[in-house]
Amino acid sequence: MFNTENLAKKLGKSNRINEPTNRSHIVTVDSIHKQYGATIAVDDVSFSIAEGEIFGIIGPNGAGKTTTVECISGLRIPDSGSITVYGLNPRDNHEEIRNIVGVQLQESSLPPRIKVWEALNLFASFYPDPLNAHDLLESLGIDKKRNARFKQLSGGQKQRLSIALALIGNPKIAILDELTTGLDPEARRETWTLIERIRKRGVTVILVTHYMDEAERLCDRVALINHGRVIALDTPAALAAKEGGEIHMQFMPSAPVDDKVLTALPGVVSVEHRGNRIVVAGSGDVTTRVLSALLKVGVQAADVQVKSGNLEDAFVKLTQTNDKIITREVSQQ
Amino acid sequence: MTAKDSDVTLQKSSKPFWELVKIQGKLVLREPYSIIFGVAMPIFLLILFGSVPTFREPISSETTMTVFDLYLPILLVTVLIMIGLLGLPIPVVRDREIGWLRRISTTPVSPANLLAAQLTINIILATVGFVTLVVGSSLIFGVNIVFHIPGFFLSIALATIAMFSLGILIAAVAPSQGAANGMMMALLYPLLFFAGVYVPMQVLPSSLQTVASFTPVGAAVKALESSMQGNFPSITPLLVMTAYTAVFSYIAIHYFRWE
Repeated sequence: MFNTENLAKKLGKSNRINEPTNRSHIVTVDSIHKQYGATIAVDDVSFSIAEGEIFGIIGPNGAGKTTTVECISGLRIPDSGSITVYGLNPRDNHEEIRNIVGVQLQESSLPPRIKVWEALNLFASFYPDPLNAHDLLESLGIDKKRNARFKQLSGGQKQRLSIALALIGNPKIAILDELTTGLDPEARRETWTLIERIRKRGVTVILVTHYMDEAERLCDRVALINHGRVIALDTPAALAAKEGGEIHMQFMPSAPVDDKVLTALPGVVSVEHRGNRIVVAGSGDVTTRVLSALLKVGVQAADVQVKSGNLEDAFVKLTQTNDKIITREVSQQ
Repeated sequence: MTAKDSDVTLQKSSKPFWELVKIQGKLVLREPYSIIFGVAMPIFLLILFGSVPTFREPISSETTMTVFDLYLPILLVTVLIMIGLLGLPIPVVRDREIGWLRRISTTPVSPANLLAAQLTINIILATVGFVTLVVGSSLIFGVNIVFHIPGFFLSIALATIAMFSLGILIAAVAPSQGAANGMMMALLYPLLFFAGVYVPMQVLPSSLQTVASFTPVGAAVKALESSMQGNFPSITPLLVMTAYTAVFSYIAIHYFRWE
């Protein structure tokens, strides 16, 4: 029984490897599964990443985000499924993968007394074609700290050094795991600017985060992982629009408006009065519809505010729905 | 493509290792506890014991051996105890605990290189300690050493390997720096005792001498003692050290984790 299953998996895997790879997709993750003892870290995850993309992996704590990127970087070998990175398999091409993938790890620190330039020079010696350490420090804005010891650096400076170490080998792909956790808002924003600069150098970025504002601001696409499975994969804007819930539009009408004019519009869910303002909740292009309906009845809308659902709303809704489904499945079994 | 890649690998094969040795060396100099306890303390003891007048008199009327003469092999083993318990394992456990080993393992260089660099640094430290003790004791204090050269090198090599494998064993089984420190403290005093730092074994009851000769440090002192009096050491202490090395290394390899 067990063997047949394994055999089927092996066959399935080798078939997939033989498929011609999409040229623009430099990373392909195909149904990977990884468990530690009885704990399933990654159940079934698949996605592809295009060259030059900032690809976000979001999800609640313990969803399997870190294990997924660890498999891409070759730090862990999935139990089943396959991964290709620039056509290479992390299992068999250990060293080549490490030459082209730079990794910034969650909760990884440097010896407290190592100096910034020493750490960079050390890492530069590990790679066949490293970047210039001086230039890199300069572009990351920590050149002035090059003689400082690691323990003397601030949280933001430590993160910059960590990014520098991930980039010193001149990688094609940078994996950044929980990059801004523990940073103050200013340092976070600076780090975001940095990541955008990294992408401008032509590096594909895989960003693991549990900050939705970060993913919304930086990522071209995000994969939402819950309980070891991808439950949504799209651009942050599309996810927010699709799953982020209703649009709330409020305005001050120049003259009283009959509610029926608004409730009759397609997509409108509710109409509420708050003082002299009207709040319309709805979906789709409800904003345009309301405005043109007002125009028809000769009412002008002043101080229009539109609050659409954001990625965070989508995240909460998607994970909660998914959790409910899983709980139901478990209770049925 | 493949051929070119392997050329690149060959070209840079030794460079990362020596870079790691350089960095680890600098870190030891910046956090010099292994130098203080592994090198400076045994030298301090040498000077201290050399200044005690009664230590400079023959132990008995049949010999010219003094207590001070007996201490030289003991101090050589003290260097190894300090480095094996402290200098070698503590940085390795620390580097693992803070995720530095894991960080290295994301690069094309294996974290085994870091461990090898740490071993190299500690071998250098131990050698500095040995040379200073031997040269200092004979030049300054006139200790009469008659080396059985192959016997001495064999003894010191086996003793070093045994104590270093104990160090790696601690690094392998200690889950945290705190645990490594605890193990160090638990082993330190018994090992110093059986090496004869408090009192040379020769002045203790023969039952204790027998127990000591079956500890790695007691065996090391015995082998060094003979080889520094012009004799090839007897086979028992050499076998004892080899046996400990085998056991320590086996457990160390079995339990060692990079993260």
